[in-house]
Amino acid sequence: MSNLINFKIDGISVEAQKGETILNVARKNDIYIPTMCYISKTTPCASCRMCVVEAKGVDGFVLSCNTTPTQGIEITTNSSELNTQRINIMKLYDVNHPLECGVCDKSGECDLQNKTLEFNIERQNFSTRDLSREIKDWGLISFDPALCILCEKCVHICNEVIGDDAIEVIFGGYASTIIPKNSDVLDCTFCGECIAVCPVGALVSSNFKYSANVWELNRIPATCAHCSAGCPLEYESKNSGINGDDSIYRVKNNFEYTSLCGAGRFGFDFDNKDAGDETSFNKAIQALKEAKAIRFSSMITNEEAHILQLLKEKLNIKLFNEDARKFQEFMRAYSTISGKLHHSGSLDAIKQSDAAIVIGSRISTDNPAVRYALTTASKHNGAKIVYAHPMEDLLMQNTVTQFMKYEVGTEEGVIALLANAILQKADLSDSERAFFDDLDLGYLDAESNIGDEEIDEMMESFSRTKNRVLIIGNDLMAHSRSSNIAKLAALIEKYSDFSLVVVPKEVNTLGSSLICDLDKDEDISDVVGYNAKGDFIISFLSLANLAVASLNQQEGTFVNIDNRVLPTNVAVKFDGYTLNDVASTLGISATNTVAYTKELKKSSGFKEVEFDDLENFLSANGDDVRGYLLDEVSCKADGELEELDDLPEFNGTIIYNVNPVLQFNAQTNQAEQLESDTTLRGSAQFAAAARISDGDRVEINFGAKALIREFKLDSELKGTIALNPTFDDVIDAGRYRFEKSKIKRVVE
Amino acid sequence: MSKVYFSTWNGELVNNVSKPQEEWEESAYNLPATYDDHRDSKAFIGWDGVSLFHEDVDVIRLAMEYAAQYQVYSEACGRCAPGRWGGQILYDQLDKIARGEGSIADMNHLREIGASMQITSKCEIGKTVPNPILDLMTHFEDEFMDCINNQKPSKHYKDEIGYIAKITAPCTDMCPAHVDIPAYIEGVRDLRFDDSLQATRQTMPLAHVCGRVCPHPCEDACRRTNLDEPISIMELKRLGADYETDHSFGFTHPMQKKESNGKKVAVIGAGPAGLTTAYYLAAEGTQVDVYEELPVLGGEVAVGVPEYRMPIDKYNQDIECVKDMGVNFITNARINADDMRRFETEYDSTMLATGTRISKKIRCNNERPEVEGYWSAIEMLDQINLWDKYEIGKAVDLTDKTVVCVGGGFTSMDVVRCAIRANAKKVYMVYRRDEKTIIRNTTYDEYHEAVEEGVEFLFYSAVNSMSDENDVLKSLLIDKFELVPDPDGGRAQLNKIEGESYTIETDFLIPAVSQSADLELIPKEWDMQMTSWGTIKTNGKDYMTSRRGVFASGDCEYGPMTIVNAVGQAKRAASVMSRYMQNAEISLSDDEIMEDHLRNLKVYDKKEKVKGWLPGLPRQESEKLSVDVRKDNDKEVNLGFTQEEAMNEADRCMRCYYIAMVTV
Repeated sequence: MSNLINFKIDGISVEAQKGETILNVARKNDIYIPTMCYISKTTPCASCRMCVVEAKGVDGFVLSCNTTPTQGIEITTNSSELNTQRINIMKLYDVNHPLECGVCDKSGECDLQNKTLEFNIERQNFSTRDLSREIKDWGLISFDPALCILCEKCVHICNEVIGDDAIEVIFGGYASTIIPKNSDVLDCTFCGECIAVCPVGALVSSNFKYSANVWELNRIPATCAHCSAGCPLEYESKNSGINGDDSIYRVKNNFEYTSLCGAGRFGFDFDNKDAGDETSFNKAIQALKEAKAIRFSSMITNEEAHILQLLKEKLNIKLFNEDARKFQEFMRAYSTISGKLHHSGSLDAIKQSDAAIVIGSRISTDNPAVRYALTTASKHNGAKIVYAHPMEDLLMQNTVTQFMKYEVGTEEGVIALLANAILQKADLSDSERAFFDDLDLGYLDAESNIGDEEIDEMMESFSRTKNRVLIIGNDLMAHSRSSNIAKLAALIEKYSDFSLVVVPKEVNTLGSSLICDLDKDEDISDVVGYNAKGDFIISFLSLANLAVASLNQQEGTFVNIDNRVLPTNVAVKFDGYTLNDVASTLGISATNTVAYTKELKKSSGFKEVEFDDLENFLSANGDDVRGYLLDEVSCKADGELEELDDLPEFNGTIIYNVNPVLQFNAQTNQAEQLESDTTLRGSAQFAAAARISDGDRVEINFGAKALIREFKLDSELKGTIALNPTFDDVIDAGRYRFEKSKIKRVVE
Repeated sequence: MSKVYFSTWNGELVNNVSKPQEEWEESAYNLPATYDDHRDSKAFIGWDGVSLFHEDVDVIRLAMEYAAQYQVYSEACGRCAPGRWGGQILYDQLDKIARGEGSIADMNHLREIGASMQITSKCEIGKTVPNPILDLMTHFEDEFMDCINNQKPSKHYKDEIGYIAKITAPCTDMCPAHVDIPAYIEGVRDLRFDDSLQATRQTMPLAHVCGRVCPHPCEDACRRTNLDEPISIMELKRLGADYETDHSFGFTHPMQKKESNGKKVAVIGAGPAGLTTAYYLAAEGTQVDVYEELPVLGGEVAVGVPEYRMPIDKYNQDIECVKDMGVNFITNARINADDMRRFETEYDSTMLATGTRISKKIRCNNERPEVEGYWSAIEMLDQINLWDKYEIGKAVDLTDKTVVCVGGGFTSMDVVRCAIRANAKKVYMVYRRDEKTIIRNTTYDEYHEAVEEGVEFLFYSAVNSMSDENDVLKSLLIDKFELVPDPDGGRAQLNKIEGESYTIETDFLIPAVSQSADLELIPKEWDMQMTSWGTIKTNGKDYMTSRRGVFASGDCEYGPMTIVNAVGQAKRAASVMSRYMQNAEISLSDDEIMEDHLRNLKVYDKKEKVKGWLPGLPRQESEKLSVDVRKDNDKEVNLGFTQEEAMNEADRCMRCYYIAMVTV
């Protein structure tokens, strides 16, 4: 039986897929139906009633946003009666709406303003007594209930896409309003999506408020530089004063189809205000000539990484980037089983999944876009989501259906247990089957602390699911047994219907790993750091010996978690030297950095495309047409599973190097609006074990490292693992993030 | 029939204006002309029109107050632009006219905004609120114009008048527990499953249970039926409950538990009625002790309804939710008359919720319970469920056995399907009537699933006699009947067909025709009033028995009935008990009085033509385990909706909220 429904809209024959509404089909066919409350990525709010249409043979008007068509029905989207009703609705929306368009942040891009004009509302015949409604200050977000039209978009987004579920409507007829849910003030992760979707000026950025008119702002489409999701965004800039330089005023996103986290939205001012002079430039050249190695971070474009690779070859020196190298090692091992370079999954695959396993990541802060995709899957598909990790994450409770708590360090055993269950009936090779037959399940169970019944529960909950995805986080890549873990993950992907997503740590961990031949980092002298530590530092961060452009000050590309090559652009000018200038002086010359875009390594799947030929937008239907997807590359599948190592034990007070919300790295740490909380956060149990209490200054020792932090007691945490932030650049990239540690109180 | 001065209810126009009272025509509807035992109603206004029972009603203020209720009734409203602003404008403009400041333009605006609301509002509440207002403006235009032309307040604008309003919906009205069904469906549609669950728990603590094994009378009153097919109301209830369970949230209660009020209640029986009474009384701050005869909690839903229909781990979630409210449970405690006498002094009131746990006889010849193989449904299901769910007692193994069940209701279906699962060689269901009737008395799914699993139904049949050898059952003589229509047009008669009787060899005869209440615990000297069918008598409104302070709800009051009926009675009783313990009076709240009035009036109108919805969107069907996968085990048969199915189904709901208001 065909799933297609044929019907007519305004006399035009159209067809609907199963589940598509009349409005969806109309939009797809470029037929306009006005809406005020509809947003593509959530369930219909159905509050505005503007999208009513007529259906032949049906009395009354039918709502097009939440009604699926029936076979042969004839829909009319416009008639004088429909127009009369839509005009009346617009008049109602305008009743008592404060006439402050002159100063309102939204003026110029306000749906209410636009629709009032569109429907030619030149007189108002309705009126009512107004209510006094107080403006609310919710930190980064400011809410003016008098401007709110109760479209409910913000409420839907927060619950269905983000997963914070932090706001709700309190109903009371005309007095209805939006309030923080279960809290006096807004208690959320401050992604700011509610600001993005607000059609009027009710929810605005406190920082941006009253600072600019929208028509004064330049829009620069770019890619977010904070994590590996590579979310599309637009920097909006303008002159900050007479003869002043441009500066970024805010960040916006195509909220209809994509989302941004708070770091992307509020953490935009990481542009480098310094510019290197000729002296420091010359010193940089000198340092490189004498260098034995270059150390760089993955906060880098593909083109810059390419230049560094050329420098390595030219100068015959080593190239360090432990984060990318660990990722590279992981993916190389993966390839020896899968016979291809790239993981199969994507953020879209996660959104469409109805079963997911997340392992080895505190995903809500490691990669918020993955969290949002999981929220979408959970809410919209009822996805069963297993979260395997040594620590529970309350931010994921709305989403996760099974928390599988394993012992720190036992990741190899856990993935073996998962693979064993998932591949129970798979058509494995004899040696692969033998690997599983030889597993000592009792031992793995006992050491990892994951029981049979938990695995059974997982398999049972997945029994009716169809689209499954395995999401692997940094704890597995940075693990000492990462290559065997990668092989097991590859095996799951290869022999089951799970797709695989390996979450890269930084914005361009993936691109760097594909472009550079990386050497194992050594503690040697004469290292030039590129946005990383070194004896001479070339960086957009503070402490640079030569200042260069930040990632929002240059053109270039990143490779994101979807294996997509994404262009980014110059939001604000940088008057200084670039890596290309440095390289040119050393004999590797190109007109500009993006001249290398088409030169990127073909054997890794890059295409020979000019930077200027890369698109950077989403289609009207939300298709991501930015840049291009890496070509899949086949390789030899000659890998063999190794016997499992003994599972390690981690006792005592353990710290987990992971960031709080809104923070990722030194870049976000520069952003003024983002809270920089560098405290060590732990549970009461941790405090008792470490003999410390809330507010203590503590010294944390692990490996050869010693750190001083303030300790904060966090009632939402449990167990003897504390969270140690890394965004202030104190932890070496690429390390396994759990550390056995000694904690002592610093007596002053 | 009601005596009215004026009425437009349900399209009927009764206009007795300027007629002497003795010549008043009556309305055909059961309108609430008498509010309660000490108050008459002056007017009734609602979604479908307005009725005046008195000449002196201030119709302008009536319209204004009705519009005001739309603003007050918050939980349903403010959800669409026409309702949110339109409702406020209705109220504001009516008030302007009523206080003597109105203009003719205001009348026009009222008509215009009223018409827009009727066409474009999200819920029926927004669509219907203008109906009676516009009726009054049409039929009493002179009174409106008098206030406008003379700029004077309406006749009782400043008087103290009682206006009592109630929000309802056809489904909610029909549900014995009056669950706010549109709200919990809206929670599913908006993917706010916590809100969905809270809406259910307002009046129904057993969300898991009633999302699975409720016979859903609400679906017979679903307005969507007028368009195509009823909403699958029951199954949508599961989503909220499963969300809470799947994500291991703590229990969310729709109300804040109140501080202790120093009162104590004993509840006898931990089935649906007992659990419900306990939940809502505990929420009021009352100390509740629940005494349960069995070693396990849950009553007949635990030891009667089999695992494959009602998984115990889900029911236990509902029970834990009640515990979480702070209820004290005492199991293995069979209460006797002495206990009851003691409870009268130890507790401030008592709830009898002991159910009906004695299987009735089938009245055949030689029906002697002592015969081996004669096994009452209650005892059989007790043994099976106690073992399957709690590993108490011993397993039932019917390998190589033949089982004959006599019944036709849900219990008998449970018996035969459990017998299949206990590996019986052959299972018969003997039923006096036909297939159509058994489906009507249970559900289509129940019957068809039983047939699929191999139960043989013997229709138009009854057991004539049991044959035993040395008190061991050997065979049954079965009589065949035919339905003979009454030539005079009366009820058709079942007549035995002579010569068609036959014998079935069997190991077991399981009577499952009905159950009666075991009420030995009631002290004789209380001389408790009983119904003619042997249950405890109450007035069916406040659930107090003839013994002051002793209440009864559920099957021991009504006779064997549904879970949702028990919950509805117990919820009402808890509310009455709560007031009784505070003021020693038996009373109903205005909300409850209105609930009864509306039930009496009937909210659902199956003849109504529905406008503004596209017909032909099919009702979703959830997946069921195939017969081979399910028939030899306890796996839950109904897998419930997938998220997609649930969302599609929720989108079909028309949110038929209505407001009704009475003036006293």
